[in-house]
Amino acid sequence: MTTEAPMKAPTIFSSELAARFDKLVALYPARRSALIPMLLYAQDEQGYVTDAAIEEIARRIGITPLDVRNVLSYYSLLRTKPVGKYHVQVCTNISCMLRGGQELFEHCKEHLGIGHKETTPDGVFSLEEVECIGACSWAPAVQVNYDFHDNLTADAMDAVLDQYRKQAGK
Amino acid sequence: MSIVRDIASVAKGMSITFKEMFEPTQVENYPDGPGPMHGAQFEERFRGQHVLQRDENGLEKCVACFLCAAACPANCIYIEAAENTAEQRISSAERYAKVYNIDYNRCIFCGYCVEACPTDAITHGHGFELASLNATSLVMRKEQLLTAMPAQPTTPTLPK
Amino acid sequence: MADVTLTVDGKKITAPAGTLLIDACRKAGIEIPAFCYYPGLSLQAACRMCVVRIEKIPKLQTACTTPVAEGMIVATDTDEIKQSRKAMLQLVLANHPLDCPVCDAGGECELQDMTFKYGAADSNFVDVKNHREEQQWSPVVYFDRPRCILCYRCVRVCGEGMDVWALGVQNRGVSSVIAPNGGDHLDCEECGMCIDICPVGALTSDTYRYKTRPWEMTHVSTICTHCGDGCKTTLGLRSSSDGMEIIRGDNRDKSGINGDFLCVKGRYAFDFANHKDRLTQPLLRNAEGKLVPASWEEALTFAGQRLHEIRDTRGGEQIGVIGSNRATNEESYLLQKFARSVLGTNNIDHHRTADYVSFAKALAGQEQRAASLREAETAPAILLIGGDPTEQHPMLAWNLRTNVRHNRARIYVVNHQEIKLRRQATSFLKISAENYSAFTRFLAGEENSIFGAEATALRETLATEPNLLVIFGSELRGAAIEALVRYGLSLPDTKFACLGDYVNSRGAADMGLYPDMLPGYVPVQQPGAFATEYGERFPAAPGLDLPSMLDVAARGNLAALYVVGSNPVHRYGVAAASLKNTFLIVQDMFLTETALLADVVLPIANLYEKAGTVTNTYGDLQLVRKAADRAGVRTDLELIVRLADTMGADVHALVPFGQGTRADMGQSRGAQSGEADRHAVWLAAQNLEPKLSPFDPSALLDEIQRLIPSYSFSRLELFAGNDQHVQATSKNNALVQISNLSQRPDGVLPSMDTLFTSGTMGRYSSKLTEVHDSRNKEILVAAN
Repeated sequence: MTTEAPMKAPTIFSSELAARFDKLVALYPARRSALIPMLLYAQDEQGYVTDAAIEEIARRIGITPLDVRNVLSYYSLLRTKPVGKYHVQVCTNISCMLRGGQELFEHCKEHLGIGHKETTPDGVFSLEEVECIGACSWAPAVQVNYDFHDNLTADAMDAVLDQYRKQAGK
Repeated sequence: MSIVRDIASVAKGMSITFKEMFEPTQVENYPDGPGPMHGAQFEERFRGQHVLQRDENGLEKCVACFLCAAACPANCIYIEAAENTAEQRISSAERYAKVYNIDYNRCIFCGYCVEACPTDAITHGHGFELASLNATSLVMRKEQLLTAMPAQPTTPTLPK
Repeated sequence: MADVTLTVDGKKITAPAGTLLIDACRKAGIEIPAFCYYPGLSLQAACRMCVVRIEKIPKLQTACTTPVAEGMIVATDTDEIKQSRKAMLQLVLANHPLDCPVCDAGGECELQDMTFKYGAADSNFVDVKNHREEQQWSPVVYFDRPRCILCYRCVRVCGEGMDVWALGVQNRGVSSVIAPNGGDHLDCEECGMCIDICPVGALTSDTYRYKTRPWEMTHVSTICTHCGDGCKTTLGLRSSSDGMEIIRGDNRDKSGINGDFLCVKGRYAFDFANHKDRLTQPLLRNAEGKLVPASWEEALTFAGQRLHEIRDTRGGEQIGVIGSNRATNEESYLLQKFARSVLGTNNIDHHRTADYVSFAKALAGQEQRAASLREAETAPAILLIGGDPTEQHPMLAWNLRTNVRHNRARIYVVNHQEIKLRRQATSFLKISAENYSAFTRFLAGEENSIFGAEATALRETLATEPNLLVIFGSELRGAAIEALVRYGLSLPDTKFACLGDYVNSRGAADMGLYPDMLPGYVPVQQPGAFATEYGERFPAAPGLDLPSMLDVAARGNLAALYVVGSNPVHRYGVAAASLKNTFLIVQDMFLTETALLADVVLPIANLYEKAGTVTNTYGDLQLVRKAADRAGVRTDLELIVRLADTMGADVHALVPFGQGTRADMGQSRGAQSGEADRHAVWLAAQNLEPKLSPFDPSALLDEIQRLIPSYSFSRLELFAGNDQHVQATSKNNALVQISNLSQRPDGVLPSMDTLFTSGTMGRYSSKLTEVHDSRNKEILVAAN
């Protein structure tokens, strides 16, 4: 498939991100190598990968939107639906499981009143059970957005969540 | 000498005949016997005229897979398939037999069709009075082969 | 490449270096099963069915991704491999529904075959299968997700083969799923390749869904009646109340010139034959001016007597004949012979879709310069001027794409539109629509300021290309073709192809459906052998071409017009009143705009319902076999002969039948049917088949071969179902000068068909119309 020069079209992203994308697509020998970082940055800016973002990224790289969706749907860390302001990701992989990760996840469910991949009605929290996040030494670990919280117990988890809830209003 | 021997053999033969005349009857008294079968008796496995079965919901079991027609050594089964629609559901799968004919001029009652049927739709019944003076009446249509609708079709209960 | 020798199952085999192990084994007769591997497509190694044990490699290897190597020792049939294949099949079947009795693929399913051969009847997976509802993705494509075994053949054939990229794989692991580009539907060319290539019944077609089963049909391979590429399509037939009905079209044995390929028309646009408006009775215009059904006897006698009367009272020059782009060579030949020798007129023409006359003239005296369709797949460099193969010659487009993919062929596209093939092109040059002629002169060296540096660079690149294949569309005519061919001949080993629109457009031209050209492009003024062949009525002067005939008719000076399988009233926008003084006989399948004005309408069989030969636009001659049958219709061949008979003509002079009775009448035929078939092929090839019927097309094929020297081909190959390439002209008639050609109007009217239209006939194909309409709706939605 030939890659056609991207059109200078109005962007849905911030000007900083658009500039970053311009640089990214030119960085690799094959343009589509920039796809995953672009999807991640787009998700960071917009909360999830929107249909409009898919269209624009496809256009920027010169592939079809279907190609973008094929990659997007492969990775569980890329989302096509909005999540809460604080996305609580509880690890239940082997190390965390042995140190009570599963119980911690159940506790979060009860505390927040939501299940796996659900969002609280006020839109502050969303919960997800994830695989290893690379914090095995301090299991059980939880990642909220990009911040890590480790060595957690049920009480420590409550404190973390309360902290976030306080911040949410600001 | 030979005359004596001949008479002796006739007498021997007739003695068996006369003896049997007073024994109870061994043959079936068809068609003069009692009951709806007119005295005919069957084993369960008797292969008579086919019956097309329905499932517990009254839908036809036949899904028009053509396997009976493929298995038939006499090539006597003719099927035309059609698709079930939401409004008109004839069988439980996607497809049903719009036309299902068996030509009893050709059928040899071998039972291969019954063996081939993946849905147990075609079975052998006990109908055997198939003689006819008109060959065309021996091509039986689906309506003639289908078993009767159950009086009270049970509504299926879907799993919650 | 050098050959390497390896050992497979103790057997020494030799294969060229770089060959994949699976291909080498299959070639040596060692079967290796595979779902995902498909020759010609990229490698996937997804199904793991082709695993083999290679010595010194610790794990089982996939034969589909391993190239052969010198001294390799391979085992393909050990218990370990059997166990592995069985386990793979169990995994594949874990979520595969057991609905084979209703599945369309049942009976021709690769998974069924493999399970039968390698699988086990039991499964270790006891979980409930995951059911999903079937989805309709387009007017022709349905997707049944649980049946899918994720071999990704459809994704690859759609992307790599068709360059459409409409299918993708989403999610991962067990939840992987084939997804269409439109979210819940497909935006594509509806070629049906994904359905054809699917090893199971996951992708099924709307036309065939749940209709019947593969073994219930009779299969006949014949030539598709639509575009000028002439692909072989295999029609699945079932007897119906009025003949043999076509149930499906597909590419069953892939033995045709089209290899793996077939487009939407070849696959699905056969349904015009079953259209409800199909005529099955002759119609005669009665005293009130209404068309009413009549018997064949009445209609033919009436038409024959009127033609006879008009010929004798007003002369042959007052009669016009219009032939068809879809009739067989034999019928076209017979039609022009009938016109010239029975009606005594040269007023014969057809709807011309390419200027084959100029092409033939330009190539006169050359040998082996016209390219076969097959060469588009192997030529190292291709110059494509004009035309849009993706829309109008899908098979050519497929070959060109394959050529680029497999052989890195260089394609140079010159066009006035941004045609899709530019995506495969080495270079794309856009010129304006009126500049084609100037461009051919520019190529030949004439400087022209309208072409810039890009064009000059192209000209320089082309000069370095040996073995160039020049393909040109109907934008090029007359002098432009001559200039292009002259330019091409100045390069070493150049070949040419001229693109016309319909299945036998080239055949109609070759058979002399021209007012000034006899069969084999022999000018009427220098008829040579034809002068004696065509009897005393054969006029010496050229006749009227199609537009002139219509003009003369409008002036009331055309006494009769005989239209065979053509719709000039619609195509040339003729006013209904202009034909009111003309006795009009129309042979057609439907009441077309032309047939509505006729005095006699004769219902005909289409190309799927008769036998003969057709020549595609590249000159590949192929056998047409009678597949379907419809009560009440007759072939054009039969009607022309019967019409000649009712006119009192000598039928023996028209059709040389009854001359092949040296035939072995079957005494030596074997008892087995296969043997009898082979025998029939042999008889036909030896020209020994009994030609006892005046309606036998092969009797006419004899005459065609006798009178057209360029139609020299192997009858054995032809009747065995292979394509035979014929040239437009042969060296023998190079001496014939076509003198007045430069003033001769080319009369070409391109049909402008797309992938989803096919002239008048396309309108009567419900599936083609449905696809066309749904596509238009999408374009409208997108525009809003």
